[in-house]
Amino acid sequence: MSIVLFLLVALTLAFPAAAAQSAPVNLQFALNWKAEPEFGGFYAAKLAGYFEKRGLNVDITEGGAGTPVVQMVANSKVPFGIAAADEVVIAQARGADVVALFAVYQTNPQGIMVHPERGFKSIADVFNSPGTLAIQNGSPHTLFLQAKFGKAKVKLVPYAGGIATFLTDPSYSQQCFVTSEPLLAKKKSVAANSFLIADEGFKPYGTVVVARRQYVEKNPKQTRNFIDAVRDGWQEYLRAPQNANGLMVKLNPAIDADTMREAAEVQRPFIIAANAPAQDLGKMTLDRWTTLANQLYDIKLIKTKPAAERLFQNF
Amino acid sequence: MNSIPQLGQSASGAAIFCENISRTFTGTGLVLDRISFQIQPGEFVALLGPSGSGKSSLLRLIAGLDRADSGRLAIEAAHGALSRGFVFQEPTLMPWRNVLRNTTLPLELVGWSRDNANVRAEEELRRVRLADFSARYPHELSGGMKMRTSVARALTTRPNLLLLDEPFAALDEPTRHGLQMQLREIWATLRMTVLFVTHSVTEAVFLAERIIVLSHRPARILLDESIALPPSRTEALRTSVDYITEIRRIGNAVPTVAEGL
Amino acid sequence: MTFRARMASFLPPLLPLLLSIAVAETVVRMAWVPSYLIPAPSEVFHSLVDDRIELALAAWETLSSALAGLVLSFAVGTLFSVALSSSDLARRAFYPYAVFFQTVPIISIAPLLVIWFGFGRPTVVASAAIVSVFPIIASTLLGLKSTEPALVDLFKLYSATGRQTLWMLKIPFALPQIFSGLRIASGLAVVGAIVGEFIGGGGLGSVVDSARTQQRIDRVFAAVLISSLLGIVLVGAVNLVSSLSLSSWHTSERKSS
Repeated sequence: MSIVLFLLVALTLAFPAAAAQSAPVNLQFALNWKAEPEFGGFYAAKLAGYFEKRGLNVDITEGGAGTPVVQMVANSKVPFGIAAADEVVIAQARGADVVALFAVYQTNPQGIMVHPERGFKSIADVFNSPGTLAIQNGSPHTLFLQAKFGKAKVKLVPYAGGIATFLTDPSYSQQCFVTSEPLLAKKKSVAANSFLIADEGFKPYGTVVVARRQYVEKNPKQTRNFIDAVRDGWQEYLRAPQNANGLMVKLNPAIDADTMREAAEVQRPFIIAANAPAQDLGKMTLDRWTTLANQLYDIKLIKTKPAAERLFQNF
Repeated sequence: MNSIPQLGQSASGAAIFCENISRTFTGTGLVLDRISFQIQPGEFVALLGPSGSGKSSLLRLIAGLDRADSGRLAIEAAHGALSRGFVFQEPTLMPWRNVLRNTTLPLELVGWSRDNANVRAEEELRRVRLADFSARYPHELSGGMKMRTSVARALTTRPNLLLLDEPFAALDEPTRHGLQMQLREIWATLRMTVLFVTHSVTEAVFLAERIIVLSHRPARILLDESIALPPSRTEALRTSVDYITEIRRIGNAVPTVAEGL
Repeated sequence: MTFRARMASFLPPLLPLLLSIAVAETVVRMAWVPSYLIPAPSEVFHSLVDDRIELALAAWETLSSALAGLVLSFAVGTLFSVALSSSDLARRAFYPYAVFFQTVPIISIAPLLVIWFGFGRPTVVASAAIVSVFPIIASTLLGLKSTEPALVDLFKLYSATGRQTLWMLKIPFALPQIFSGLRIASGLAVVGAIVGEFIGGGGLGSVVDSARTQQRIDRVFAAVLISSLLGIVLVGAVNLVSSLSLSSWHTSERKSS
C-alpha cells in the first residue's frame, strides 16, 4: 500500500516537471509582408517540425504595407520579426536596441525593372534617359541612387506597388525585387530586364531576422534554438521547396503555384553562393554592416552612426 | 411692352374687361368663381376683400403672371401697346443694387440705354421724393422708403395699368397715410388705370373712386360701386362725416369685421 | 481695438493650443507614449525649421495645384449647376450623378487618375478638382433655386429673357451660397491635391510619403501642419473675394451698424 502511495506521489511529482520540460514555448514571429518565397525557409522550418523539436511553438504572422515590425520588436510586442537591414541601422541610430540575427539574402535582390526595348545597359542609363522611373519615395536605395546619379533626366514618380503601369507603358521603369516582379511581368507576356541595385554599390543584407538585444541576452538558448531551426528550415527549402510553397500558396492566393516555384528557383543564388557550406546560411560580416552604416549616414538618413558591432549577432 | 412712352410723353390708361374669370389651384380648390367686371381707362379701383379671398390671385391674372382656367380677360391700352407696373406686398428690391439701379431695372430689361434709364429713373425718384437717396442701398432704407422705391420702379415704364398688392400693409400708420397721399398725387398727374388690392376698408375708401368687394373663397363679387367722395382727397377728409359714412356703407358689404376707425 | 480688447480676442483660442503643446512635449519626453506614435512638438518645430526651404517649395507646389483644381471645379461645378437649374428634368436626371463625386473615395481612384492623366500635376489637379466639386454644385444649385419668388415675378412681368433672369437676378442672388460652397471646396481641394500627390508625385504629398517611408513622424506632422495652413490660406482668399463682392449688401458681410 505504501509502495503504491509512494509511486503515485512520485508520478505526480514527476509529471509537472516533465510537463514543464516538454511544454513548448509560444513565440510569435512577425513577417513584414505576405507569404512568398522570400520567407520560404521559415515556413519550411515550421512544416518540418524544426521549431517544435527544439521546444518552440512558433506562430508565423504575415504582414502588409506599413506593418511596423521594427517598432513591434523594439516595444516587445513580438520577440522576433523580419525587417530590412537599413531599418536596423535607423532603429539603432534612434536609440532602439534592435539587433539582426540572420540574413536570408546575402545579395540584396532589390533592383530596377525596365523594358528591354529601351536598350538600357545599366541603372545609370535609366537615370540618364527620358521616361518615368517609379521608386519608393525616401527609401534608402532611392536616396542612394539619387545621391550617386545626381539630377536625374528620368522623371521620378512614386512607386505604388504592383506592375500595372509597367505592363501598359513602354517608357515606364520601376523598382522591383528581381526574384519577383520580372517573373510576374513575364507571366503577362511582357518582357522585362532587371538590374541589381547592389551592382551600384548599395548592398545591404536582404530580409533579416531581428530581435531586441535585451531579449537575446535574457534568452540566449531560445534565440540559438530559433536561429538554428531557421537555418535548418532554409536548408530544407533550398533542397525541396514544394511543401512550403504548397502552404504559402494557400496563405497568399495572390501568387500562384507556378510563380512560387519559379521565384524559389530564381532566388537561390541570392541566398547563398553555390558551393558555400550550409553552416554559412544567414551569417553576416562586420564589414558589410559598417559599410551600410556609413552609406546611410552619407545620404543623411541617420544623424549619428551606430557602432557596427551592435547591429548584428551571428548565431 | 416695347413702345413705352419716351421721355416727355405722358401715359394713358388701360381698360380691363373681365368676363366669368375662374381659377382653381390644386390643393386649395376653386379660388375665383366667375368674376366679371369692366374698368375704364384712368379709373382708380380698389379691390377689397378678406385675407385669402383670392384678390392677389386676381391681380396676378391681370398682371399676366398667371392664366385663368376659364372666362375671358382682355386688357387694352388706350393708345399704343399695353404697359403694366406692379407693386408687391414686399418692396422686393435687389439688395445688391442701390436705389437708382433698382429703379432702372425695368428699363434695362426692355433695352434702354444706361443714360436714358438713369434720367427716367431719377424723374420717378423725384416724384416719390427719394431723389437724394439714389446712391443708398436697400438695407440702409426704412420700410416706407423701400416701398417708395418700389413704386418709382413701377412707374419708370409709364405704365397705363398700375397694379398694387397691399403695398402699405406692413408700414406704420403715419407712413401709410403719407404714401397714400403720394399715390393719389401720382395718379392725379399721370392718370393711368390703378387697381389697388387691400383688406383695409378705410384705405380702399380713401384712395379709390370705385370699390369692388370680393367674398371669401371661392371669391365672387359682392359689391361693385362708386365712392361718393370728392375727387381731391386730403388729410382732412379722414375725419369728415362723408368719409365715415362711406366706410360704414362699404364695411357692411365686406364679409368679415371691418377695420376699426 | 484697444490692446486689451485685442488680447481678449486672441487669448482664448491660443490657450488650448499652448496647453496641448505642453502636454504633448511632456508626455513624449517622459516616454509615457512611444515617440513613433506622437512626435514631441519640439521635434516637429525643428523639422519645420530645418527643412523650411524644402517644405516651402513643396507647399507652393501643392497650393498651386489645389488652386488650379479649385478653379477647375468652380468652372465645371457652376456651369453644371446653371444648366441643371434651368431644367427640372435635367436636374432630376443628372443630380444623382453629381452626388457620386461626393462619395467616391479619392484614394482608390487616384491610381486610375494616373493612368488617365499621367504622373505629376495633371493627376494632382484632377484629384483636387474631383474632391472639391460637389460642395460647389450643391451650394450653387441651392442658391439658384432659392431666388425670391416676388423678384422672379418682377422679371416675368417685364418679359425678361432667361438669360437676363439668370445674370441679373439668379446669380447675384445666389452669390452668398456660392461663396459658402467655395469655402468648403477650398479646404477639400488641398486634401485632394495631397492625395493626388501620393500617387502622382510632387508637393507636400510626396514629403509625407517619403517621411512615412523613413518613419519620420515629426516630418509627417510638420507637413500636415503646413497643409492645414494652405487650407486656411485658400479659405482666406475666398473670404476676401466674398467680402469684397458682398460687403455692400449682404448681412453676412456687413458689420452691424
